[in-house]
Amino acid sequence: MRMNRITFSQLWRVGVASSLGLLAVSAAVPVLSGPPAKNPNADNNAFYETKVRPILTARCLTCHTGAGGSGGLDLTDRAAILKGGESGAAVNLSKNADSLILRFINYHESRKMPPQGKIPQPEIDVLTKWVAMGLPMTAKKVSSAGSATGSFHGPPKVNAETKNFWAFRPVKRPAVPAVKNMAWVRNPMDAFVLAKLEKNNLMPAPPLGKAAWLRRVTYDLIGLPPTPEETKAFLVDTAPNAYEKVVDRLLASPHYGEKWGRHWLDLVRYAETNSFERDGAKPFAYRYRDYVIKSLNDDKPYDVFIKEQLAGDELDKVTPETLTATGYYRLGQWDDEPADPEQARYDELDDIVATTGQTMLGLTVNCARCHDHKLDPIPQKDYYRMLAFFQNVRRYQQGGWERNDVTALRVIATEEERKSFSGAEVAWKAKLDPFNKAITTVEKKVSATFVPVEVEEFRDEAKRPEIIKKRIPTLITEAEYTEYLKNVEARNALRDNPPPGLTRALGVVEGDISAPATHVLLRGNPHVPGQEVTPGFLSVLSPPDPEISPNADGSSSGRRRALAEWIASPKNPLTARVMANRLFQHHFGRGIVRSTSNFGRLGDTPTHPELLDFLATELVKNNWRLKPMHRMMTLSTAYRMSSQGNKTALAKDPENNLLWRVDMRRLTAEEVRDSILAVNGTLNRTLYGPSVYPRIPKEVLAGQSVPGSGWDVNSGPEQQTRRSIYTHIKRSLALPILASFDAADTDFTCPVRFATTQPTQALSMLNSPFLGQQAADFAALLQKQAGDDPKAQVLLGLWRALQRPPTEKEIARGMAFFRDMTQESNISQKEALRRYCLVLLNLNEFMYLD
Amino acid sequence: MMDKEFCGRTRRQFLWEMGAGFVGTAMAGMFEDSFFAKQSLAADGVTPYAPPKLGKGGKAPMIPAKAKSVIFLYMYGGPSQIDTFDYKPGMKGMDGKTINVKTFGRGGHKNQGRIVEPKFEFKQYGQCGKWVSSLFPNLATCVDDIAFLHSMTADSPIHGSAMLQMNSGKILSGSPCIGSWVNYGLGSVNENLPGFVVMLDPRGGPISGPKNWSSGYMPATYQATVVSATDTPILDLRRPDELRDVDQRKILDTLKAYNSEHERPRSDNSNLAARIESYELAYRMQAAAPEATDLHSEPEHIRELYGLNDKRTEVFGRQCLMARRMVERGVRFIQIYSGGAHVDSTWDAHNDLVENHSLHAGETDKPIAGLIKDLKQRGLLDETLIVWGGEFGRQPTAEYAVGTGRDHNAYGFTMWMAGGGVKGGVSVGQTDELGSKAVEDPLKVKHLHATILHQMGLDQNRLTYFYGGLNQKLVGVEGAEPIKQII
Repeated sequence: MRMNRITFSQLWRVGVASSLGLLAVSAAVPVLSGPPAKNPNADNNAFYETKVRPILTARCLTCHTGAGGSGGLDLTDRAAILKGGESGAAVNLSKNADSLILRFINYHESRKMPPQGKIPQPEIDVLTKWVAMGLPMTAKKVSSAGSATGSFHGPPKVNAETKNFWAFRPVKRPAVPAVKNMAWVRNPMDAFVLAKLEKNNLMPAPPLGKAAWLRRVTYDLIGLPPTPEETKAFLVDTAPNAYEKVVDRLLASPHYGEKWGRHWLDLVRYAETNSFERDGAKPFAYRYRDYVIKSLNDDKPYDVFIKEQLAGDELDKVTPETLTATGYYRLGQWDDEPADPEQARYDELDDIVATTGQTMLGLTVNCARCHDHKLDPIPQKDYYRMLAFFQNVRRYQQGGWERNDVTALRVIATEEERKSFSGAEVAWKAKLDPFNKAITTVEKKVSATFVPVEVEEFRDEAKRPEIIKKRIPTLITEAEYTEYLKNVEARNALRDNPPPGLTRALGVVEGDISAPATHVLLRGNPHVPGQEVTPGFLSVLSPPDPEISPNADGSSSGRRRALAEWIASPKNPLTARVMANRLFQHHFGRGIVRSTSNFGRLGDTPTHPELLDFLATELVKNNWRLKPMHRMMTLSTAYRMSSQGNKTALAKDPENNLLWRVDMRRLTAEEVRDSILAVNGTLNRTLYGPSVYPRIPKEVLAGQSVPGSGWDVNSGPEQQTRRSIYTHIKRSLALPILASFDAADTDFTCPVRFATTQPTQALSMLNSPFLGQQAADFAALLQKQAGDDPKAQVLLGLWRALQRPPTEKEIARGMAFFRDMTQESNISQKEALRRYCLVLLNLNEFMYLD
Repeated sequence: MMDKEFCGRTRRQFLWEMGAGFVGTAMAGMFEDSFFAKQSLAADGVTPYAPPKLGKGGKAPMIPAKAKSVIFLYMYGGPSQIDTFDYKPGMKGMDGKTINVKTFGRGGHKNQGRIVEPKFEFKQYGQCGKWVSSLFPNLATCVDDIAFLHSMTADSPIHGSAMLQMNSGKILSGSPCIGSWVNYGLGSVNENLPGFVVMLDPRGGPISGPKNWSSGYMPATYQATVVSATDTPILDLRRPDELRDVDQRKILDTLKAYNSEHERPRSDNSNLAARIESYELAYRMQAAAPEATDLHSEPEHIRELYGLNDKRTEVFGRQCLMARRMVERGVRFIQIYSGGAHVDSTWDAHNDLVENHSLHAGETDKPIAGLIKDLKQRGLLDETLIVWGGEFGRQPTAEYAVGTGRDHNAYGFTMWMAGGGVKGGVSVGQTDELGSKAVEDPLKVKHLHATILHQMGLDQNRLTYFYGGLNQKLVGVEGAEPIKQII
């Protein structure tokens, strides 16, 4: 199985497929398939073999081989050529010159083949002659199994065999395996891990020290370091449930939602702007972010979490919360000025299909946009059937956010709020109207005389007075103009101060129940619609037909609800597996399936398949709640293993596939920044709310076409130290410290973060004004809490940075640094302490978890 | 397992650490070769990965390389082809005539327009007899070293998406830029300098800002470093003023002592050693990068050659000269922007074409010519590929009822290449008699990209990065051939 796949993917990757086609053909027996050629004699076959076949092999067969050839065209078989692909028969034997294959290679059609460049004329001549000869071809060798070897590649079909792929089989709860060392087993999870190790004669790593475990679990659950007080308390807590108490405390912390919310935001490519030229802000995007954090803090069942995001406006009970959840649909890129609007529309839909498929189902459904999926049994038709669920979602509108009130914003106000607002709004509009009327009257008077450049410029309100002024005295009088200016000024002042609007959230809107038709798009081209399709689930999962009932109030087609119910069903073989695997990933550093968003055939196979299914059933058994799962994982003996290497295990399993230890991990970008702030005591732990804008150096802003644009520098000092999840996420401008430590790129779903090591990270950690300031704040805290004694300062500094009792040697090294700085370099004690704090914030131990 | 990771990440982490990014070569020495050989694949995703030769040189190219570095002179906003290098004598005297011509710019689709004839005089230059407009009197003397591409086309006539395509091959954001691909494929030869550098016009960045030099789905290691012509060429490069070198050394030594003690019982985790080393690299960069960009040692005749003595050309000249110094020090890909911010601060001549193009050509003509001549006299032109052009060109017709402004045109425009094994004195492709669209040998952006990769020794159809379930390529899934006529 593995070999087959690798071989196939290699072929596919580098286009060696053609050489395989060559082997298949050259080993051919001269049996013709399809209607007989005009003159099927040996000469003709020789012409094909010596002249035609090499050209096809070199130019065409990489793509057009087998049943799944590009555009449905298979050039390895005569019958298949005569049958043709999506564009029709490739060869017309009665009217040679009309043969599409010749028209394409001559670049006479809009579709040109091969697309890389026109082939040389002599080769065109050979192929032209070949068609004229009646397309003589030696047949493919027929394998002993009876299937033509030439067509074994090509996309996998949906059939009994492909349905039996491990990830597509129903989840079954496996029996907990027996192990020798029962003392090691704290919960069933441990038995699965230990059974593998015992079978492979590997010893699990010894347990981690208490302080290191506390550090690991605190970061894993809330993304922050434990305080020295927490560490000290835990070190002396000998109660049998000391570990449980810690985990329960952390799971009850509201910071849990901030840590795990960030994992989800990575997956749904969360950003607060649209990308492209203007990279405009998405209004109220933060409400979606807060929804995610709060849902996790409330331990909302994962199936409900999915349903609210996919169909929060179509559920039985629609609430402000479920409407906010549908902000999910609005997080992606949006081109407000697309060169090809139809293409842009399908790019937006593809973004939803790709994100939903990979995040919730662990499948790259999006690979089937232009053709059948090359490696997974996902026909192109299935892609468009899935897309059809989203077909009725209304798009963002051109022309500013006022217009998007209708298509992308949902009012989530309470009844009282609505009542008090409507009065205020009526009053405000009544004041505004007379000004608007007066202004429009003047503008209408002159607008007929605009030259085109003025029409263009008039769109800009700021330029209007100047254009109107030119019409004095012919069309308007000086007095009228003065009056006009006065009205504009008054109107603008009023308009800029509306009564506070109804609370709104970014969300999805359909507006009616009848979705436009969905077609398979040939080669993914929105201008070449093929067969019409209806909404349907992925056929390889043997799903039921979707049951779609529109919203009773006519506001929505009900399609997304049907999709959500199917994805969030315990019967779906992927959903629970994928989520259980993600929980494992963020506690053990990698998924049981390492490719956490690809459970398909190009993904990794699970290292512990039984454990994965056990966890998946456990998740469903716990009513899809995540916190019991965290509890089980973090309290397992497996999670308590140290990261310590040992020679035998390193030699036998260097990648730790068997889980003989827990791998070290570097802090994530957000953890790096948040930890600096936590350790130096400046972290502002406020939860939720509109995003904040930490200062960005002007050298970085200089990279924008309008430096500083879209970055609100007015976030006050207390806002500068909010947790990173609350910083504004602008697609075209990242906070340098987050970008440098590998925060998720926001353009696509991101299931696994990089953890790079670069000298530019070191530069900013040493030299940036940000770090300089953080070190100074750290020093001030030490001074305040430890007094003037350098030794006490060093001791406390090490405690805070490392979250464990420091050794004498480490303290002595700090003291020596102090001495050198104050005596040899002759700088103040205060500055020496600041520099020592800088050292602390740069420690590897600060950045890495055991 | 490592050969079929998701999104190439596990494998790629090894890859970039081993062979690319400017920390790569230093780290390579720390690892057991066989350990990586077992689990890593080369950039094509197939070939078992051979660790690079340690020391200098980066990774071996996939095919014989003609060029070692690229300097992409990016004319942001879109220069008008018929006013620069695409000679249209037939338009002389047609000024103001209304004709039928299909155009598509920011003003939408139009079928008719008022001709604005080429606004600058053309003359023939060089042995090849190339016609060049009076905008480029200096550059015109280099035409025998230049291959002109007159039939470029792009997929979008809108700045944001067209720039993304010119830089990353895709009109959507999120994909790595060509400089990222080059460094991913070839690695770094100078660990003390970034491999991908961008220099901006002091007027501002381009539309979409950093998206134009992002590494997209590749690790951040491959994104460009913005280098400015100041004494702090790289962000955070400069040691804080109050900190003496000896004191910074003390900070680093103390840090190293702590880190080494921490690392000793964890020596199987190579990331820890790499991070220790990264501080030493950072320390060395503090000296190396300013040296690379410091022009004080350049003699007077060189300064004059690049136009450093003229206020108008000084900025771009300085950047070109810095680019040459970086090329000499092994920087792989350098992009310099002419034009920043919006409209007339860029080549985006919607209003007064003459004023706009006179300004931007005037600022860049002499420095570019100086760069070509200087590289040539040093024997470096053969191994340095220079690329010139913007995200699209401009229309033959006027945008408004009055004036000479031209709207965007992605149906046909001119770019050129010089050096790096590219033939000089040749011209490829043609636009129609108005320069409105490519009619002979139309070229796409992917052909330009294919040519750049090819000259750098990378097989554009095999240089892949596995992401999102697909082996991604700069030139797209269907692949592309380099422009054969010029190589």
